[in-house]
Amino acid sequence: MKKFLTVARMHRLLYVYNGAVIFVLMAFMCLTQDRINQSMAARSFLEQAGAIPTPAPEIFLTTVATFLSLVFVGSFYRKNKNPRVRYLLLAAEIIICMLLMRSLNLSYDGIVLLVVADLMFRYEGRRQEYTLLIAMICLYFIANYNLAIFQTKTISFEAYASYYNVDAKAVILAIRNSFDSINTVFFVFYLVLLVKSKHEETERIRLLNEKLEEANQRLRAYAIEVEQMAETRERNRLAREIHDTLGHALTGIAAGLDACIMTLEVAPEVTKQQLNKIRDAAKKGITDVRRSVKKLRPDDLERLPFQEALLEMTKNYSESSGMEITFDIFSWSKNLRQDQEDIIYRVLQESITNAKRHGHATKVKITIGGDEKYLLIVIADNGRGCDDVKQGFGLKHMRERLELLHGTVHYWSDEGFIVEAMIPLNREVDNDKNSDS
Amino acid sequence: MRKKIFAAICAALIIFVGVIYQYRQPVTLKLGIFAGSNWDVPQGETYAIIDDVIKTFEAENPGVKVTYVSGIKKEDYSEWLAEQFVAGDEPDIFCVPADDFNLYATTGALMNLDDFISDDENFSVDVYYPAAFNFGRHEENSFALPCESTITFMFVNKTLLAKEGVDVPQNDWTWKDFLEICRKVTRDTDGDGIIDQFGCYDYSWKQAAIANGVKLFRDDGRTSYFADSRMEDALKFLMELHAINGGREISPKDFDVGRVAFRPFTFAEYRTYKPYPWRIKKYSSFEWDCIKMPAGTSGGNISVLDTLLIGMSSRTRHKDLAWQLMKKICFDVTTQQEILKRSQALPVRRDVIISAEAQEIFSWETRDTAAITPADISDAMDEAVMPYKFKNYDSAMRYANGEINKIINGIVPLNNALNKLQKEVNAFLQY
Repeated sequence: MKKFLTVARMHRLLYVYNGAVIFVLMAFMCLTQDRINQSMAARSFLEQAGAIPTPAPEIFLTTVATFLSLVFVGSFYRKNKNPRVRYLLLAAEIIICMLLMRSLNLSYDGIVLLVVADLMFRYEGRRQEYTLLIAMICLYFIANYNLAIFQTKTISFEAYASYYNVDAKAVILAIRNSFDSINTVFFVFYLVLLVKSKHEETERIRLLNEKLEEANQRLRAYAIEVEQMAETRERNRLAREIHDTLGHALTGIAAGLDACIMTLEVAPEVTKQQLNKIRDAAKKGITDVRRSVKKLRPDDLERLPFQEALLEMTKNYSESSGMEITFDIFSWSKNLRQDQEDIIYRVLQESITNAKRHGHATKVKITIGGDEKYLLIVIADNGRGCDDVKQGFGLKHMRERLELLHGTVHYWSDEGFIVEAMIPLNREVDNDKNSDS
Repeated sequence: MRKKIFAAICAALIIFVGVIYQYRQPVTLKLGIFAGSNWDVPQGETYAIIDDVIKTFEAENPGVKVTYVSGIKKEDYSEWLAEQFVAGDEPDIFCVPADDFNLYATTGALMNLDDFISDDENFSVDVYYPAAFNFGRHEENSFALPCESTITFMFVNKTLLAKEGVDVPQNDWTWKDFLEICRKVTRDTDGDGIIDQFGCYDYSWKQAAIANGVKLFRDDGRTSYFADSRMEDALKFLMELHAINGGREISPKDFDVGRVAFRPFTFAEYRTYKPYPWRIKKYSSFEWDCIKMPAGTSGGNISVLDTLLIGMSSRTRHKDLAWQLMKKICFDVTTQQEILKRSQALPVRRDVIISAEAQEIFSWETRDTAAITPADISDAMDEAVMPYKFKNYDSAMRYANGEINKIINGIVPLNNALNKLQKEVNAFLQY
């Protein structure tokens, strides 16, 4: 449904009304001046007026010209987006308003409200209170003190009205006053509409925000649900995997061993053969388990050489988070084991994530060094750091993982947060060789 | 965009053509003057002097035309001028009636001439009599220049004095001489028991006050000084003068038929009625002359200098030309000489009044030497005071006149009356 009384329409009505009033007053003054001359009352009029009136054609021209420019400047002011230009336009509007009042001998100050209406139309809060206040004070002075510079040379409306007889004068003054009053009523009504429309707008924005919040919440819940689903699926997959590989192998081994127990004494040769078969089955089971575990590794690690995988991971993260990540690699052990790679990868991942999430860092520097015996990784960020580090899930996990490799982790706050991880290499290689063979 | 540029170019062209057109129009200066004399005396050839001035001015400034509306009577002039101002059609320079000077000076209708006066090397205010030049000033600013003046002198019936065996008084005569002569000549000549020959007609209390050095109002017209002791002296003198007539009221007719010895007269009247043919028409039955006004006990032979002012409209578009024309009328020696020669007024330039030409003009009296010389006139003009011209002057004086006449006529005792009057007039002026 379209509303009949919109702010824009009321604004236009204000302009039209003021234009009409200005025209009427101007015509009144011009005609009175004419009549004064025709009725030979000029000398006494001058005496009463205390100033020389502007000739009628000049009043007409200046009034029409200033009012039209007020309309133009006002509409530009209401449309312009550049704040500086707008202040200029507002200043121009105030000056034009003064000139217009001057050309009407200050007999009508309703025009001031017109300027205030324009001003209010563009009022947006945000530090504009002062501008608004100053402008309003200026306008108030224009309206009420009629500007000392003009005062000596203007003729009061009463002087014009006094030309007519007492009854007519009373009527004329009453009409003039009612012009003012009606203008005030229109203005107040305009303000009410304006405030109402602004209020409606904020209400609309509030409703939209509420909707957005609701949608966000739903999204969050959905994300959790999806995560849980993924976890369940993963768990199922693991279960299936264990069932298919380990279960299969172990079941076979158990059955084979049962048979061996039966045949051990009767036919040791057969049993030997059988045990060989069982060993093959166990080996195959181990291979299967390895394959399954391999499937749980990060994609990059699977796909790329380790160093490139690290670079790829950090590059992706810095692209998505806007954080600057630099590498400083002094030395690099060529023959890292897969589990070592995995853990280094996870430590780096976790530290970077923490730097962003908790430290709000913008820069992270990763230094990797060491010799054949150990590998040292330092991850330093420029974030907030924290004085009292609570070991969360992430850090705890990191420590546990490193402990698997007999490594250690230290972390502290300096100009940011620093994580230092140390992984011994040699012993593990021995262990690895022993277990692998 | 192209349309906008086109429109802007069109607008600029129109304005340009308009400006060019304006410039090529011959400049027209409008002059506001009234017909006849400012001094209420008959004058033939009303516009003769101004026509000559315009002719020379137009010759000196090619492309400039000076126009005026002729036939405006003096009594209509004030209203006419106001109407021109209301219509925005006022003359560039115009005669400012004394009563209107304040109105136009305060409303900003008159151009402030201070800058013209100080910037123009060919102009000097020293040539003017101070009372004449200052008459065109308002609150320390000059708004008009004097054009011509007139001053009040004492008209003396020489025939009557000779008959009574009294010499014509000298120019430095005093109230004492004045009273003495009046006492001597006031009598019943035909023996019918009614006094029919008088000393003086129409010597007003204002003239007495000025002669006794009384300053009645502050210049801004906000307060009055009626309670001055010199004012009291003046009134006592007037009461004595009044008492001589024994209560008989003198009429102008008494003077016209030669039965009064003295009557204050303006110089314009002197100039009008002294030469042929007015002499024959108005006062043919006696010989007469003019002398300065009598001096009061604590004043001098001072009288009022009335001056006709010329002002410039503050809205004129040809300031410099208007100033030139003003100078042509008010400052130019030739014009001022013309005023002396061809009108009844006195020029406002001192050098013109004491010039050789003036000597010639004033010597109508061939039979015996005139009582007054150009030097006397010049002295009188130098000593003269200017009339007040603040807004409420007329009404204040009207009120004071009534009260003072009551005192002179003995209706109200003098004792404290002036204090009371001052208080009342001040109250009125404050309002």
